[in-house]
Amino acid sequence: MSLLEVTGLHVWFDLQQGGELHAVQGVGFDLDAGERFGLVGESGCGKTTTILALMGLLPPTASVAGTVALAGENLLERGERTVSPHRWKDVAMVFQGAMNAFNPVKRVGDQIAEPMALHEVADGAEAKRRVGELLELVGITAARADRYPHEFSGGMRQRAAIAMALACEPKVLLADEPTTALDVMVQAQILELLVTLSDDFGLALVLVTHDLPVVAQVCERAAVMYAGEIVESGPTTALFHNPRHPYTRLLFAATPDLYGDEDVASIPGAPPRLDRPIGGCPFQPRCDRAFGRCEEARPVLRSVADRHAAACHLNDLPQEVPAA
Amino acid sequence: MRGADYVLKRTVFAIITVFVALTLNFVLFRAAPGDATSSLRGCRNCTPEFRDALYAELGLDKSKLEQYWIYLQGLAQGDLGLSFVSRQPVWDELRDPILNTLPMVGLGYLFSIVFGILVGVIAAWRRGTFADWGGLLSALVFYSLPTQWLGLMLLILFSGVLPSSGISDPFIEFTDPSTWEVILDRLEHMILPSLTLGLVLYGEYALIVRSSMLETLGEDYILTARAKGLANWAIVWKHAFRNALLPIVTLVALTLGYVVAGAILVEAVFSYPGIGLVTYEAIFSRDYPVLQGAFLILTLSVVVANYIADLLYFRLDPRISA
Amino acid sequence: MSVGPDVATGDIPAPRLRRPLDATWRIVKTQPRATAGFVIVLFFVVVALTAPWLAPYGVTEKVGPVFEPPSPEHPLGLDDAGVDMLSLMMWGARVSLVVGFAAALVAMLIGGTIGLLSGYFGGRTDTVLMRMTDYFLVIPDIPLMLVAAAIWGRSLSNIVIIIGVIYWTTTARLIRSQVISLRERVYVKRAHAVGAGHGRILFRHILPQVTPLIVANTVLTVAIAIFAETAIAFLGLGDPTLTSWGKLIENAFSHNAITVDAWWAIVPPGIAVALVILGCTMVGQAIEDTLNPRLRVGHLSVRRFRLRPLQGTDQV
Repeated sequence: MSLLEVTGLHVWFDLQQGGELHAVQGVGFDLDAGERFGLVGESGCGKTTTILALMGLLPPTASVAGTVALAGENLLERGERTVSPHRWKDVAMVFQGAMNAFNPVKRVGDQIAEPMALHEVADGAEAKRRVGELLELVGITAARADRYPHEFSGGMRQRAAIAMALACEPKVLLADEPTTALDVMVQAQILELLVTLSDDFGLALVLVTHDLPVVAQVCERAAVMYAGEIVESGPTTALFHNPRHPYTRLLFAATPDLYGDEDVASIPGAPPRLDRPIGGCPFQPRCDRAFGRCEEARPVLRSVADRHAAACHLNDLPQEVPAA
Repeated sequence: MRGADYVLKRTVFAIITVFVALTLNFVLFRAAPGDATSSLRGCRNCTPEFRDALYAELGLDKSKLEQYWIYLQGLAQGDLGLSFVSRQPVWDELRDPILNTLPMVGLGYLFSIVFGILVGVIAAWRRGTFADWGGLLSALVFYSLPTQWLGLMLLILFSGVLPSSGISDPFIEFTDPSTWEVILDRLEHMILPSLTLGLVLYGEYALIVRSSMLETLGEDYILTARAKGLANWAIVWKHAFRNALLPIVTLVALTLGYVVAGAILVEAVFSYPGIGLVTYEAIFSRDYPVLQGAFLILTLSVVVANYIADLLYFRLDPRISA
Repeated sequence: MSVGPDVATGDIPAPRLRRPLDATWRIVKTQPRATAGFVIVLFFVVVALTAPWLAPYGVTEKVGPVFEPPSPEHPLGLDDAGVDMLSLMMWGARVSLVVGFAAALVAMLIGGTIGLLSGYFGGRTDTVLMRMTDYFLVIPDIPLMLVAAAIWGRSLSNIVIIIGVIYWTTTARLIRSQVISLRERVYVKRAHAVGAGHGRILFRHILPQVTPLIVANTVLTVAIAIFAETAIAFLGLGDPTLTSWGKLIENAFSHNAITVDAWWAIVPPGIAVALVILGCTMVGQAIEDTLNPRLRVGHLSVRRFRLRPLQGTDQV
């Protein structure tokens, strides 16, 4: 049994004009303590929705199906009631654009200490001491706890957000684009910090990003998401050297390694709309290797090698050797 | 010191605003074409001697600049001139009414702030529910009612139950009342005017508080607070409200200008002897010195309220630095 | 809607007829608040426009005893001079709406111009104009209006100008902040680089973008202006030759309608004013809310996401 097991996760959103949007379509993955797992894809592919679903943070327009098992206990069993005791205590999160993750009118230290008191981890002077320790751990002097968020630089705020996520010693840390909007040097430092933390504390890390090279650098395993579903998953080395889905290959090709621009001109075309059923392969219109079957049948995720799975009809063709 | 800078800036602004108000007051009454004094120039029934005496008294025989200087000097000594009607110093005419108005307006203000914030916060919190619709509708309705008309409706509704005019029971002196009875009598007379003001302002505050709260509830740190496991009420009061309060503080100060105006209408309806009623009567009798004095005091009170709001803002928002 | 075979013309296919209806229905469904407000305002505009033909009596025509209660003949009763209230209400709509819309237009022109110039040019222009706006914002509006009306006289045009000149400040501020963010957009910068003049950029690129905001704000100002008109009229500073709703309230009050229990002389004008203000506010706020991206997300809700069993779906 793994620490975190996600199986058959679906998320739908009600649309204002009627109908619904199938944002996450049967996503599944698992990870153990101390393991680092990457979730990669273009914006709008359902990465963020997936991890918000793990924490039960979806808006009321959402409906969810599937199981999210934490150490064997299904968090989605009874919705809000079964998720809320685990929030921050067992599963914590570093949000996308952590610039705004802090309340501008409250001291950073108080905001880090807030969940401690709430989950009865520490209180008063003890909490204050722990806040100091956590800040030191992420490389911020403890005295800064009395400062307000606007007095921190972008990188420092992101570090503080990580310190806040560690407040209750969670087992799983979900990091949603933790390095976007930061400059390259700071990005590297933050990633290094995350790696150290998971090594030292046995923290299971889910790293959500659009940046495949970052995942290759940090994570042992990763899943590539497209149009709400996982199209390929496996060890990062395998994904990098032997991608078995054209989308993975194009994604690696489209992203510059380092010092790249924020919005790279990536794969031409746009992901399909998710408010209507998709007939064939969702990637078919943008795929450079699409053939007849891709338009007719939707490929399913199936094992292509040891712990390596992909959802592509090309893998069924014996003569085709998909190479990078 | 970032704080000292900000306070200095706001103080300078407040002082300049006072001067703008003083000058506007002067220009409106003395220097604009068709101003208050021109009607005196056309005074056909006056003897030439009387007119000259009046001119000299008002200083109209001097240049505009000199008049402005005399006006400022007079103000510095607390001299607002003489009433045309009673021939008494304007300040004496205004002092008691101001003291009558303050508690009445204060009560209405308090009512509107408390209920406006309460309903606005709850409506935003329960966005899209029945509570939201109900709160929004009640706020919109009270916001839409003309102040004086709402006053008249309350007058009809509560006639016989609550006193409908004046500030005290004229016969109460004969009953040898205790202090408590006098206060109670005053309060009874205050209820309807205060309630009228309070209800109209309630509508405005509830609308603004609701939209300010809605904006705040969409911020990322609210999602963070939820992820941290905070209960809904804790998110609303500990995180959202403090931030939503910022625009509300400014608004409450700015609407003091409206409160002041509302006081004129409400006191006219309920014959409540405050500064509003004095203004109302001065308009009718064209008693320009009194009108000028009242306008000046109303303006200054709004400037001061804004200054206080600026300082309060500084206390509430750590991001402010000059 | 079906088009039978006997439709020989054929050049108006059914979908074209249906499209505007569909579009209207969509707006009604997604924007009930704006629709309700619009219908209310439209009703009163129609009443105002048709008053000369539809009003049963004149505004000075004595048709019965003083303060006669409502009857089938005079559904809203008679006022203190024995004039038909319904006719007064219809004629009053003209004056109240004209004041409201004209003053809002004046405010829009002043506020829009100052906001555009201030936001577009920035720098010293911005500083001077915004300082001016700040001072105006602080000075209490209604007392200033009363003083101005008392001094300058009580004609309709004076009242329109006074109200308009006082209520431009919020418009100016809103437009300014919008223009500042637009100025930084790529296409404006590109237009500038290509060599387009200030006038061209302002009118071709920026003005069209801020128009919805200006409209929303103007509609809200109409409400405020009508409110202000009733206040001015109530304090005896309205145009003495014209009948407005504010004047009707004042008239009933000063002729003791309350003491003789003639509620019909005082209730209708107040309700009419309130309805128009309500309508304008609903329309204006609905537009503003649609334009405000910050209102689209809410991270807090009393309801939660729902759970759905997988069996119900056709997914594997």
